[in-house]
Amino acid sequence: MTNRIALKFIFLILLIIIAGFLGNAIGFNPTQIVATSIFFTSIFATLLFWNFRLAVAFLGISLLLITKTVDLENAIKFASLEVILFLVGMMVLVGLLKEVGFFAWLITLFLRVRNLTAKRFILMISVFSALLACCVDEVTSIMFMVAAILEICDYFEVEPIPFIIISVLATNIGSSGTVLGNPIGILIASKSGLTFEDFIVKAFPLMCLCLLFIIFIISIWYRKAIKRLDGKIKELQANEILIRLISVPPEKQLKRGLGIFALTLFFISLHHRLENIWGLETNTLLLSIPLIFAGGVMIWRRNRARRYIEQEVDWWTLLFFLILFAQAGTLKYTGATDVLAKKMIGVTGSNPNILIGAILWISAIGSSILDNVVLVAAFIPIVQSLQALHFNLQPLWWALLFGGCLGGNITLIGSTANIVALGILEKEKNIRITFFKWFWIGLSVGLITTAIVWLVLIALPFYR
Amino acid sequence: MKVKDIMTRGVKSLSPHTTIREALNLLLEMHISGLPVINENNKIIGMFTEKDVLRNLLPSYIDKVGNFVYEENPKSIKKKIQDLLNLKVSQVMRKDVLIVDEDTALCEVARIMLTQRTRRLPVVDKDKNIVGIVAREDILKAYIKESSII
Repeated sequence: MTNRIALKFIFLILLIIIAGFLGNAIGFNPTQIVATSIFFTSIFATLLFWNFRLAVAFLGISLLLITKTVDLENAIKFASLEVILFLVGMMVLVGLLKEVGFFAWLITLFLRVRNLTAKRFILMISVFSALLACCVDEVTSIMFMVAAILEICDYFEVEPIPFIIISVLATNIGSSGTVLGNPIGILIASKSGLTFEDFIVKAFPLMCLCLLFIIFIISIWYRKAIKRLDGKIKELQANEILIRLISVPPEKQLKRGLGIFALTLFFISLHHRLENIWGLETNTLLLSIPLIFAGGVMIWRRNRARRYIEQEVDWWTLLFFLILFAQAGTLKYTGATDVLAKKMIGVTGSNPNILIGAILWISAIGSSILDNVVLVAAFIPIVQSLQALHFNLQPLWWALLFGGCLGGNITLIGSTANIVALGILEKEKNIRITFFKWFWIGLSVGLITTAIVWLVLIALPFYR
Repeated sequence: MKVKDIMTRGVKSLSPHTTIREALNLLLEMHISGLPVINENNKIIGMFTEKDVLRNLLPSYIDKVGNFVYEENPKSIKKKIQDLLNLKVSQVMRKDVLIVDEDTALCEVARIMLTQRTRRLPVVDKDKNIVGIVAREDILKAYIKESSII
């Protein structure tokens, strides 16, 4: 074990040295080399030392400050506190929803479906997974979907693997549909000025198109599993035990919780119009609405307020994001991203269609191995630098969003949703999905959906 | 007063190779909720409790799903029990076991129990061989006796 860690550590140092030499070859100055090397250390650490990623990030940002690569004021500015606070607000609201039984209630909706058929089940899994991921984050969404799928598969005595995979694929696709589905959504919105309405008008229909395609692909890919489930449904008939399995008391709290969440979504969807009416800066309300409602929830349930903040907010991940954003901002601050942007144009030429493709495919392939937040945080300053070269950034932002979300489907470590779902499957059923069992369907879905997005972004002027 | 003055000596223990069925039967016979698991060298390697069995029977995600009530027994429980009963103690036991030295003061034992949320602690000698077990009840009885309330 110690040898393995030592080997990984040597590999990490090698990667950093290579990154340094590459930076030199590209034409970075010494400050830019320090900034990129430290940023790449954080990226590689997420790949090699998942449990130490926050520690590496702490050390990295300290080094950037000590070496005067960035000053304190700019490090704090780049840390994107507004994104972190938005995520804190949403996590508190999701904590409330959990507590009042919203997710358990969703599971009961699933279990109570009468006249179930395998095809209807597949359709439900895909649509529910995608829509739930649109409304709450993908990790919360997948946990409840997996719980419901396992109960149903247990009842009908069928292997849950195909249905879990379908749900994860749909969740990753669904997470691109709104600002709320994935941390990269709000990150891109806050840096690009794209609004919730932009996401609904442009990202959501494209997400639905991808979802339609994957429902078609998985219906063929898993036709045997679907046939087997149909046979079992006919054999065991009505799912009476499932219908009565769980209940969610008390209803009053659930209704209030649902009301608060619906109001949050309602105001988030209107944020741009309200900002225009009140003369506020773009996305001021988008970022503050979750905080306003989270504050209200913490007053309403004041005895639980501390619990929401301490237990429902994933501080470990948020702190990592905060420091990662500061490190990525340092790339822009030192001018490293301007150099990279120019080099990128040198490779792709000034044809925007090729540039859209390059950003889409690099982010899709990159996020099949790396955390998509890490990748998008690295790409954002590069995309911002392209503005100075007179490029229309809007299709590039969509390319980054969809690449980051759809790439997560390619490998089983491609997104946190995949890891959470497979973790539950292993714990509950002692089933370990092999890399290749996931890879072929994941790659097919990943490639096809990314290609669809590429075509749409190039062909439709609507996305320009 | 030290823990060696109040601990229960001659503790019954489990082998890691014992099946869950046998281990559970022993717990039920003895009317206790948990027993230490000892290897061939008399060293403690785990703790087997009723709670560990229940944790394995119910879905791992129940606390994450939030507020709900089971109105029926899930169909999977029956199969889970059958599978679980044939497993070995080593597959279900908790491996991060807290232990105390036989010369530990009672107040320190009580502190560990409270802060670490444990009901009982195995007591070991200087060579880390298990020599006894102490429960919350033993500590309370000892304190009451010492202060001559009863």
